[in-house]
Formats: sequence, C-alpha cells, structure tokens
Amino acid sequence: MTTGARERVRYDAPEPEPAAGFLRRLREGLDAGLELPEAVSRGAAGLSGGARDLLRRTTRRLEGDYEEDDWGFDEEFVELVFPLFEFLYERWWRVKATGIQHVPAHGRALLAGNHAGILPWDATMISFAIQREHPLPRFPRFLVLNWAFDLPFISVAMRKVGGVVASPYNAMQLLERDELVAVFPEGVKGAGKPFSERYRLQRFGRGGFVEIALRTRSPIVPVAVVGSEEIYPKLGESPAAARLLGAPYFPLTPTFPWFGALGTVPLPSKWRIEFCQPIPTDEYGPEAAEDRALAFELSERVRETIQEKVYENLVKRGPAFV
Amino acid sequence: MPGRRVLITGVGSLLGGALARRLEGDPEFEFVAGLDTRKPRVSLERTELIDADIRNAVISRLIPQAEVDTVVHNQIVRRPGPEMSPRAMHDINVIGTLQLLAACEKANSIRTIVIRGSAGVYGAEPHAPQFFTEEMTRLFPMRTRFQRDVAEIENYFETYSRRHPGVVCTMLRYQPGIGPSLETQITRYLSLPLVPTYLGFDPRLQFVHEHDALEALVAAVKTPVRGAVNVAGPGTIGLTRLVRLAGRPTLPIVPGLFDGATALGQRLGLLDFSDDFKRLLRYGRAADTTRLVEEIGYEPRYGTVDAVADYLRTQGGRRMLPSLRQAVAP
Repeated sequence: MTTGARERVRYDAPEPEPAAGFLRRLREGLDAGLELPEAVSRGAAGLSGGARDLLRRTTRRLEGDYEEDDWGFDEEFVELVFPLFEFLYERWWRVKATGIQHVPAHGRALLAGNHAGILPWDATMISFAIQREHPLPRFPRFLVLNWAFDLPFISVAMRKVGGVVASPYNAMQLLERDELVAVFPEGVKGAGKPFSERYRLQRFGRGGFVEIALRTRSPIVPVAVVGSEEIYPKLGESPAAARLLGAPYFPLTPTFPWFGALGTVPLPSKWRIEFCQPIPTDEYGPEAAEDRALAFELSERVRETIQEKVYENLVKRGPAFV
Repeated sequence: MPGRRVLITGVGSLLGGALARRLEGDPEFEFVAGLDTRKPRVSLERTELIDADIRNAVISRLIPQAEVDTVVHNQIVRRPGPEMSPRAMHDINVIGTLQLLAACEKANSIRTIVIRGSAGVYGAEPHAPQFFTEEMTRLFPMRTRFQRDVAEIENYFETYSRRHPGVVCTMLRYQPGIGPSLETQITRYLSLPLVPTYLGFDPRLQFVHEHDALEALVAAVKTPVRGAVNVAGPGTIGLTRLVRLAGRPTLPIVPGLFDGATALGQRLGLLDFSDDFKRLLRYGRAADTTRLVEEIGYEPRYGTVDAVADYLRTQGGRRMLPSLRQAVAP
C-alpha cells in the first residue's frame, strides 16, 4: 500500500465564491424539502471539477472509505496536507536537500538525524524532502517521543503522517517490513536544548538505534539538518509548567507562550538537509548486535558524520534568516 | 490409540457450545463433557452435560471421575450480564479458575489444559508497542479490575504449569470478538444512535471474527503449545473509520468529561462501558499473531478489517446517516 507507483493528485482549494454558492444552493435545496444527499448533490453541481473532487474525497472519508495501514499511516491524509508541507518546504524554510541518492529506493534503512526545534518539524521536512527530490519517493516512518501519544489531536496527526511510538520493538518491526525508518538518537535532549547550544549534537543515548540496525541488518543513513535550530529559539524553560502538563519540558521562546497559539508558528529560517553516505551493517554477523563496543563505535561514527556535515552546511547556508 | 477425553467449562456460552459441537463430530475425541449451570445454546448429541458451578468444590470430585485428558477452560467472564454483579464476575473468573486447577491437580489423567483468556491482560496504553507479543505482559501497571483478574488467572496457570511439566498448558489471549451472531460491548457500542468517542483520539483497535475465535480454539485443543498465544484478526482498524463504516454519528467528548458522561448514560440505562472498554476507546490495543500462525498452525480467515466488514454486512439497513457519497457522485 505504501510502496509502488503512486499518482500524485493535487487539489485546488475551492474559491471562496463557489463555496458560498455551494452553501446557498445546499440551503435552498434543504428549504425546498430535499433529503440531505440530494441537496448536497444539487449544491455540488455548480462547483469546479477540482472542488467537486475535493468534496467527493471528503465525503468518502466521512463514510469511512479510506485506508490506513496497521500502524495508522494514512497516505491520503498526507496528500491532503501536502500543500502545507510544500509551502513550508519551498517558501517558508527554502529547504535545500542534498545527497538524496543515499536514500535507498527499496528495502529497509534507518535514517538517523540530529534533532532540534521542539516540535518534530524536522521529521516532516526530511519526509517531504524524500517525497520531493527522490526519483522513487517513499514515506519514511519516524519514531516519535512517547509523550506525544498522550496528547489529543497531536497523537492522531502523528500516526497519520507516519509517526510511531519510539520503542526498539516498533523500529525492528518496521524495518523487518522493509520500511524506511527515521530516528533521532539525541531524543528529547536534542529537541529541548537551549538556543546557545545550537548545532552541538547531544549524546546519542545508549546507541540503541545501532543495535536495532545490526539486528535487522539495515544500513544507517546519517542525516544532517541545518535550520531547525532557529525555528523556535529556546531561551529558557519552565519546569513548573512542564510538570503541570506532564511534558518532558516546557520551552520559553521569544514568541511562546506569550503569543499563545501564534507563538507556535515557527520562524522562517533557511534550511539545508544533507543525506550522507550510508553505513552498511550487513558485514557484521548476527551476534554483533550484542557487541556493546561495536554499537558505541558505530554510534559515535554516525554522530561524528552528522556533526561534521552540520558544520559544513552551516557554512554553506550563511546567515540564518536571509 | 484410544480417543481423547475432553472437558469444556462454560459450555453454555456461544463459543463453548460451538466447540462442544465441533469436538463431538471429530472421531479424535472419544468423550466430550461440558460443565456449566446454564443450558447449552446449541443442541448437542453426545456431550455429557455436568450441571455444576465452577466455583463449587464439587468439581474436584467430578473431574478426576471423568478421567479426561484435556480441559478447555472457557468460563472467563469478560463483561457481567445484567443479573451478575462485578463481585460474582471476579469470583467466577479467579475462584473458578483456582477451583478448576485444584481439581486438575487431583486428576492424573490430565495432559493438556487450554484456557481461553484475554488480551485485556496487556491493557490499553498510549505508549504501547504497536503489536503486543506474548512476552510483553508486564510493561505497564495494571489499571483495571478485569486486567488484574486475568493476570491473576495467568499467574495460577503458570504456577500450575511449572509444577506439572508433563501437562501442556496453553493460554490463549483473545482480542474482543466481533461477528454476525455475537453481541458484545463493541457491537452494542456500534448500535448506539450516537456513538461517544474521546475528542482528539483515534485508537487502533483489533478484533477476532467469531469464526476464527472458534477455529483457533479447536486448533489449540488439537495442537496445544506451551505458554501464551494471542488470538486476533491480523491488522488493525482506527476507531474513527470503524464508526464511520458503521454509519453512526459520533459524539466526541472532552477526555476529562468522558467518565462523567458515560456514567450518566449508564444511570439512564443507555449504555454500559467497562473500564477496560473505555481505555480501549482512548488508547486501543493490537496483538501480534505470529505465534498463532506459526506454532498452533492456525491462520485466521478474517483480518480485523474483514471481520468488521463481515459484521457490518449483516447489520445492513441500520445506517443512521444518509449515504453522502451518492450525493456527490458525478
């Protein structure tokens, strides 16, 4: 379902005027004593092809006629939010992605990236970069901090775009299904670090992601992301608010929480994403997964690669916002 | 080789009766006995019915007398009926199992015990792995009474199994059943005129079709394996999609008010949600069926989505919402 050739269809948002016309005709139909389905159909008659298509798609989804895979990934939903991602990618962050040839077109692989920016926008941009630039695009699944799955709406949206609860078991299951899996080995330490420490990679946990790669014999593709650090410059945090919400941290940025929901709009920094040369793991035997020293060594190698590429891309990018 | 002799508890349940009927027709089984205080719902030909309560110590005389080699424990109550108190449910589940295992201790003829348990032992958790495998029972704290009861039953069974290495003890962990002839919490839920959901949550659910529920039990009796085995229709379905397929309008309720709202509905006699069911509606649960397929050798005919579709097919004409799709078809 997630692999194979896909036809990408884009939908134009209905113009405000046709939408008003639709509602007017719908109301007239209902006033004339028509049943709801007929009234909707009469209302839709005056819409343009694209708008009618969108309406049809929406009603189809409202009847439960859509597919999600066993993990809750909903490709059609992703296509529906594509315009937003496209805007962020092209206009807002002006992302430049390089090294896309290092993302395998088939089979399993583990993408390991540096994490920053409080909300996982970096994960969505990595995913979109692959959609955009790869000759055989595929949707990566990403491991998301458990905490996000307690939250209403966010948990649902995460699942629909390919997020899963971060656990070694889930990662292995996905890799065994030959999926592309993205992890952020820095975890919450990376996303929640202060602005003054930007682009300095944090410790890579216990190297669990390497163990998973070894166990499933998946190549590791280091991914360096530049730009994500500036979207929410974290100046401080409020442990009391974090405790209240049960969140791992509660960031204070120049705009959040002072401007409420508006404060969650990320700043328009300039981004670069580099996919690096894959590190193969199939040369090691099955017993290698137990080898702590090897896991640490590989984990360190991935970390150094990302750190080096982050610095390189910082220089190439130049100023953060222009 | 003489045929097998089997005792089925809870033969008065739909599945218990169906199992007895299947084993009656199988020459491998020379003797079939059914224990229950209720009458079986299907007509049985050669099953010997024992009218006794599983909580009563008298079964410790009856079982050794029957000289059975296989016991199928199918009397674990998932949801108390209208005239059953939660207390009685706990007694039947925990004390009943304890009495049954005590009776098995006395019968030297026992070779196999199969318990139809529940995947409820895993709980329903936001941080759960996507698919629980059989060794993942103690990942989270126990949160509901039923979950604690099932865990207790599993504990007794494990202890029994350790003390009797010659007996093959199979613990089947069933996901909730669905199907045309079942009436369960989920089917009652989907029949509500307005279906309450947790606002902002869309859990992944998993069901086992009634056909597979029976066939998996038959397969486990014929090819018992040691330890726990999940029984479920492979795959999952999102609650939102499930309710939409059922054609029901939803009533999303803010999580903090859900308990109050459903308690009110309960007092008015409109609905009846157990604590386990409410957690399922918020967080969902799915189990891995690899062991069922590879070790017991039973491949479910219905995946979760097919099982739901088969159930809904028989509910035709009960849609609450008009079909919107016809309206906008070109």
